[in-house]
Amino acid sequence: MSAMELLLWARGPGLGIAIAIFLFGMTLRLIEIYSLGRKRDLSTPRSQSPGSGWRTIFARSLPHADTWRRSALTIVAGFVFHIGLFVVLLFLLPHIELIRSLTGLSWPALPTPLVDLATVITLIALIVILVHRLMDPVKRFLSGFGDYLAWTVTFLPLLTGYMAYHHLLLDYTLLLALHILSAELLLVVFPFTKLTHTFTLFIARWYNGDIAARKGVAS
Amino acid sequence: MADETLLDMLKRRGISRRGFLKFCAATTSLLALPPSMAAAVAESLGRVRRPAVIWLSFQECTGCTESLTRAHSPSIENLIFDAISLDYHHTLQAASGHAAEEAREHSMKADWGKYLLIVDGSIPLKDGGVYSTIAGISNLAMLQEAAAGAAAIVAIGTCAAYGGLPHAKPNPTGAVAVSDIIKDKPIINVPGCPPVPAVMVGVLAHYLTFGSLPDLDALGRPRAFYGESIHDRCYRRPFYDQGKFAKTFDDAGARDGWCLFELGCKGPTTHNACATTKWNGGTSWPVQSGHGCIGCSEPDFWDAGGFYKALSTPVDSVTGAATAALAVGAAAGVAIGLANRRRKARARAEHQTVTIEDLEK
Amino acid sequence: MNSLKNIGVHVVHVGGNGNARAVLRELETLLQKLVEEGEESSIDLSGLPLTPEDYDLLEETLGEGEVVAEVHSLGPTRIHETGIPGVWWVTHYNDEDEVLAEFIEVAWCPEILLAPEDDVKDGLEALRARLFELNQEGGHG
Repeated sequence: MSAMELLLWARGPGLGIAIAIFLFGMTLRLIEIYSLGRKRDLSTPRSQSPGSGWRTIFARSLPHADTWRRSALTIVAGFVFHIGLFVVLLFLLPHIELIRSLTGLSWPALPTPLVDLATVITLIALIVILVHRLMDPVKRFLSGFGDYLAWTVTFLPLLTGYMAYHHLLLDYTLLLALHILSAELLLVVFPFTKLTHTFTLFIARWYNGDIAARKGVAS
Repeated sequence: MADETLLDMLKRRGISRRGFLKFCAATTSLLALPPSMAAAVAESLGRVRRPAVIWLSFQECTGCTESLTRAHSPSIENLIFDAISLDYHHTLQAASGHAAEEAREHSMKADWGKYLLIVDGSIPLKDGGVYSTIAGISNLAMLQEAAAGAAAIVAIGTCAAYGGLPHAKPNPTGAVAVSDIIKDKPIINVPGCPPVPAVMVGVLAHYLTFGSLPDLDALGRPRAFYGESIHDRCYRRPFYDQGKFAKTFDDAGARDGWCLFELGCKGPTTHNACATTKWNGGTSWPVQSGHGCIGCSEPDFWDAGGFYKALSTPVDSVTGAATAALAVGAAAGVAIGLANRRRKARARAEHQTVTIEDLEK
Repeated sequence: MNSLKNIGVHVVHVGGNGNARAVLRELETLLQKLVEEGEESSIDLSGLPLTPEDYDLLEETLGEGEVVAEVHSLGPTRIHETGIPGVWWVTHYNDEDEVLAEFIEVAWCPEILLAPEDDVKDGLEALRARLFELNQEGGHG
């Protein structure tokens, strides 16, 4: 199979399959979670603080002072990685064009050299995160296959995207094909790993904030 | 006539050795060889016997022949065409009918194993190949017969090289490329829709001068002309690198010559000589005129998503797959949810205890 | 149709792109080789991206010498010696005055100006034939 055939497959059937599996998986997971339901709390709420759940979604983004003391590196690397990832994913023009063709939505792009810089920073943050996971004894003990898989499928699209833009190492057509395929791999694996936190985090935070408010600790 | 050397032919036309030297210098330049090689080119051309050439036109639009016959710097192209013994050209000789066919058969027999076969157009295979025939002979049969006695084959145009336009979905005639049928002869692919005239002439000049195939890439294209992508030689590349893109044709960005990525330019994945050699004798080329590259020298470029949709967009629509996935996912989610509830109810009824395995799931 | 006139044409003067200086430096190397080793060479100008400004710089720096020649074979070829002796500017044209190829040759004399050996031998025969004819006429006249 030539590089061009691979690219056309990635932009054609490959994308359809990846999006289908992604949507199937995420719908399945979300409905699964929702249908579990929760036990009805028959006690009276200690405080009337409506919206505590919603407020917690944002409040939890700022770590507690104790957490800072214990894992500053994880917090900083984590924030840098996540912000960098969103900048690269949402503000590079070719990505915006892709989203526009799929959903009709579009917004102004950032200058490509800026996004290029963000990619480098994000890649470095990811490497720092991995190294820390391997070197810290507690993290290493807690880490399993799923953690390393999630890291790899997130790292590959960023790496191949950077290589493609800079024409590094391989023929551009092949690099572009690999970049799109790695993004499709991410989509396919997504609903079956901890990457679902992208959506479930809002559910979890809302629930915790709400239940905490009922127990008297409102956000 | 196919037995005299090029030098003999030039002498016969009253062209002196000085003229021959001039021809060799220009050919060396055309082949992008260093001037120090002119002596080797001259020595080779002086010795070479005029190869017989047979040109077969199959399922094509004649654009390749048109492009070649419009090639600029006419003296060189004319000379090269005089230098080869063009014994047969389907389209140019179409008016001669049966006589032309006889000439072709005679030439093939006379130079069996030595002639250069040039093919433009794809070969339809469906329904026994009836969709394109010449003098009642299917293209498939004619190609197989001609290829058997050829020294080498040049597949000119994207149709002959990769199937081209007839090969695009749904390919109603079962069109295929030359290389899909002939497996035992050296084939040079010279794709493009049409190919750049200078490239076509350059390939023929190479074969004429050295009697061998030029260095080819993985898709069978001469590296000398197809080695680099349009993107790598595009004069608008600084704008791509800076993220300055034209949003519509003739907007402010377009007038300033910004990159045409958003308007569908396939330059990054297309290999051809347009950005350096240009068209119409070096006048201009699509991007310079404000239109994105359509990728016409690559296989399946007709099916690579729209010409005006960016390279990062999908080729086919995904709404069908997406809707189906959502529906199936929802159904599966509901089913699994119900199963989970039943299991939970049963566990509670049987007073089952929670174990560490349950928590680790 | 007046909207066609309103389509702005942006004329950008890029200036030279440095290739002219590269050519001049290479000429220096080649001329040195000619002087020290007697080796002749040439540079193909169509192989390099040269802007009009680059051409101007080349012409200005090299200047014009004493010799201008024109060869008529397959269309004209115009040669002029530049202000630097041994450096010749050779432009090959076809019958329609379009440029076929352009070289800067570093040589005692551009190759195309030299009389080819075979042609000289043929020329001797041709001259002898003409002398013979003249003698015949002279004998009868």
